[in-house]
Amino acid sequence: MGRTAFCFPGQLQERPTLKEDHPLRRDPHFKECVEMASRQASFDLLRFSFKGEEAGFNLKLQIATYLLSMVHFSRLRAEGWVPDIITEHSMGIYAALAASEAITFEEGLWITESIGRILEREGASSGGAMASIVGLPSGEVEKISQDLNGFHLSIANYNGSKHFVLSGEEEGIEKAIDLALSKKAISATRLTFNMGLHSPRLSVLSGEIRALLKKIEIRSPKFPILNHWTVRPLRREEIKDFLSQEIGQPVYWDRCVEKLIQEGINQFIEVGHGATLTKLIRWIDRDVEAFSAGDRFSPLCHSELVSESKR
Amino acid sequence: MAEVDSELIEKLKQLIITRLKLADMTPEMIETDAPLFGEGLGLDSIDALELVLGLEKEFGVVIPDAEVGRTVFQSVRTMAQYVEDQKR
Repeated sequence: MGRTAFCFPGQLQERPTLKEDHPLRRDPHFKECVEMASRQASFDLLRFSFKGEEAGFNLKLQIATYLLSMVHFSRLRAEGWVPDIITEHSMGIYAALAASEAITFEEGLWITESIGRILEREGASSGGAMASIVGLPSGEVEKISQDLNGFHLSIANYNGSKHFVLSGEEEGIEKAIDLALSKKAISATRLTFNMGLHSPRLSVLSGEIRALLKKIEIRSPKFPILNHWTVRPLRREEIKDFLSQEIGQPVYWDRCVEKLIQEGINQFIEVGHGATLTKLIRWIDRDVEAFSAGDRFSPLCHSELVSESKR
Repeated sequence: MAEVDSELIEKLKQLIITRLKLADMTPEMIETDAPLFGEGLGLDSIDALELVLGLEKEFGVVIPDAEVGRTVFQSVRTMAQYVEDQKR
């Protein structure tokens, strides 16, 4: 019997494509989520997917990521998929919490928007940047951040043995990209973020986020959510601390996936619009099945695909 | 357009499908001259690393850095040309 993990991705790096003929647009869960976001957050997902509004781009991407994860989660559940465990990457925690019913959909949307606004303000006042470095081992990436001492660089994401994200001051990130390429990285590119997410410098925001979360009552997750720092399920009473601290701490995605495979998970479903986590899992272990709900529409209904996980 | 071995083109298309686990694709669905990244097959840097590893394992060919990678991974044809050049 297969054991399944639902994986909630972090912020999309580009505007989601939702053209007129996109199958998602015919999905009733999509329409419902779009309407709720429009009512609660005055956010028009379809308009954002087409129009070049750059103001507050990262905040809008975060909201879009949250909504699309929730749409795909609803689709999966409606088709009978049940996660044995939930795992998440970075801001994927908000949708993961809503999916596990530790918070409501509306609370998740509110948290995404509220924390997004705090980060947007921080980015505007303090700056910062992030870069994805692909093809170098951790020692080389750590050395780059040490060599650029003074730019407050740190590894923000441990995504796999040769996949890392660096966070820090913008000038330092630009220099890190040049250094990584000179050390024969296969790719070193800026991410869309205008702040150094998951770096210790953002820990200053923890108190503000903690205060914000006082308005929310967290319930016990219906499906366990793996804490990537401790690689144990998050307990209800830990969730607010996790949310307030995670922006200043790295994401250990590789550790998370390895732990789940050790625990017998052999099927990973990315609950989102892209396939980044799916590809990272493929790098970590080629033998486990991994796919993105966002890449599969009609095949999700195929009985042979569903049978293993249906209960 | 330089002539490259059609058998090699086929093998490289199969390599792309296998390394990237594109279960729903067949070699016929990959156009020899279509861009691999961005539009076209829509590959990204995570895929690029898989292809670097695949070329090393299957063909003994090394992509030394990002600059060479950008040239080689333009299309299946440019990959084939690089493999042929390295084998000479």
